[in-house]
Amino acid sequence: MSSASPAPPGTTLIRIDSLVKQYTRDTQVLTVLDNLSLSVDEGDFVALMGPSGSGKTTLLNLIAGIDRPTSGTILVGDKQVSAMSEAALAKWRSANVGFIFQLYNLVPVLTAFENVELPLLLTSLNRARRRKQAELALSVVGLADRMDHYPRQLSGGQEQRVAIARAIATDPKLLVADEPTGDLDSKAGEEILVLMERLNAEFKKTIVMVTHDPKAASRAHRLVHLDKGVLKEDVHAERGKAVGMAAAVSASST
Amino acid sequence: MLKFLPLVLKNAFRKKTRTLLTVGSIVLPLLVICLLGTFLRALDRPDPGATRGMFRLVTRHKVSLANFLPHAYLDKVRQLPGVVAATELDWFGGKYGDGGVKTIFSRFAVEPEAFFQVFDDAAILAGSKTDWYADRAGCIVGDNLAAKLGLKVGDKVVLRGDIWPVTLELNVRAIYQIPDGSGASLHFNRKYLEEASPRFGSTLGMIWTKAKDARAATSLIDTIDRMFENSSYPTKTETEKAFQMSFMSLVGNVKMLVTSIGIIIIFVILLIAANTMAMAARERVTEIAVMRTLGFSKGAILEMILLESVLVAVLGGLLGVAVFMVIEPTIKRGLMTTPLGTFAAGFSLYPGILLFAFLVTVGIGLVAGVVPAVRSSQRSIVDGLREVA
Repeated sequence: MSSASPAPPGTTLIRIDSLVKQYTRDTQVLTVLDNLSLSVDEGDFVALMGPSGSGKTTLLNLIAGIDRPTSGTILVGDKQVSAMSEAALAKWRSANVGFIFQLYNLVPVLTAFENVELPLLLTSLNRARRRKQAELALSVVGLADRMDHYPRQLSGGQEQRVAIARAIATDPKLLVADEPTGDLDSKAGEEILVLMERLNAEFKKTIVMVTHDPKAASRAHRLVHLDKGVLKEDVHAERGKAVGMAAAVSASST
Repeated sequence: MLKFLPLVLKNAFRKKTRTLLTVGSIVLPLLVICLLGTFLRALDRPDPGATRGMFRLVTRHKVSLANFLPHAYLDKVRQLPGVVAATELDWFGGKYGDGGVKTIFSRFAVEPEAFFQVFDDAAILAGSKTDWYADRAGCIVGDNLAAKLGLKVGDKVVLRGDIWPVTLELNVRAIYQIPDGSGASLHFNRKYLEEASPRFGSTLGMIWTKAKDARAATSLIDTIDRMFENSSYPTKTETEKAFQMSFMSLVGNVKMLVTSIGIIIIFVILLIAANTMAMAARERVTEIAVMRTLGFSKGAILEMILLESVLVAVLGGLLGVAVFMVIEPTIKRGLMTTPLGTFAAGFSLYPGILLFAFLVTVGIGLVAGVVPAVRSSQRSIVDGLREVA
């Protein structure tokens, strides 16, 4: 895990331009994201907020390259994600994006260590290097002593920490998180948020997080508020001021 | 792909009961396939006598085995060039013991000396030929039959006749064994039957001839049948193996029947395995979507599911073949004491059959895994992730 030197201020990692995403249900065309443009700097911590159906998760999926836009471009680093082939996208994701899901989505038949090792199997690392890397990721999330435990033997918070270890195992620049505290109690949720802050501050991970929770969003440096697929507000905040800002954004979305 | 093997193995045994039941559902039909294949191979085995330099021919009435031939035919056959020896074998029928299924075996009236000239590859395990030659009421018993009925030299065997309405009290004078191990018949002196039922004397059921060599055997088939073709009792002469096969043809096209059963069994295993794999893949829709999110390609997912399917099938295949290797001698021993003994003698662990059975399971694993593997790998990641919600 590289706690790499910070990127020059203002270096853009994600550039989204005129993004449109439509779904066709029967004969009806649903526009989920409508002509959205956005950029995210390297090292930023962005919270995507908005009511259900506003397009937050769709935007996250598009940024992470697991969905395709109807039109518009998405540039992550120097790669135009929206134009890459399926196979190239898979390869790109394995090296550049870490995923954190609301329901952790660990493989139940694998131990914590094996779950974290899973994305490393796609790399050219040998077994010893994979082991070292997975152990390091687990120690970052504070679960070095639970490596041999299966997901069913862990609490929800611990499962989510294993999922975070899996997300950072390949040392990607970008972490995308979809309601990472949505299934946790407040204490466990707090621990996860602290961990994410640390990953952002100490390990310079750029984080894009979808959340409904103003408290979770308050950890972000920037709040992007979507409504009906359109960017409503894009607020940059100094840390400490974010709580009130998030609450305000949340209130405005209800 | 080797890196993913531990994951594939863990997935294969994720639901242990289901996997073991699937393996079991492969093992049992596979045993039947091995058995049917071995049976077919046994039917196809080379002429049992010819492989040991024994060129034996069987002559019977052209119409059917139930029709008798004049006894005078035997001497005429013996006079033909190329004939080393000839004996009659007359089906006695009758009942032994309570006449139940377990007491059914072949009983033939023969000329003792001529019998051993034709079947000179038979070995005496207990008693002696001369004791039999000397005792008109004597009989010899095949080793399998002796084991089945618990007979030993000196025992009495009482046969109650039906075709020939006489009761024969026979003394066991020898236990014999023939090289292919199919000794499950009883043979007694025809003169004893002739005395008890004089009508029998002028007829015979079959003539078994030992030819000098293969060439003589081939020409004798024509010569014998031509000799009697314009008589009131035309004959049909064939090799020992062809004669045995003609018994099987009485129940129709046995090979086709057996092959059809085998194909049906293969199809049934395929459906079971396909259903299991479909269920296994369906349960893991979200998990597969997560793996693809992590960067696993469609191809890698496809390969892993196929490998899992093949692994389960191969496990069933290996177990099935192993179990068959263990039980085959027992099955053979069991059949040897039945009227199917002649065919059971050809039973063996044929590597070709075992390999075929094993490859069938590998094929089943592949075919069963194709649809779930393709579906899982082609499903959109977003749809897969939504399944969780």
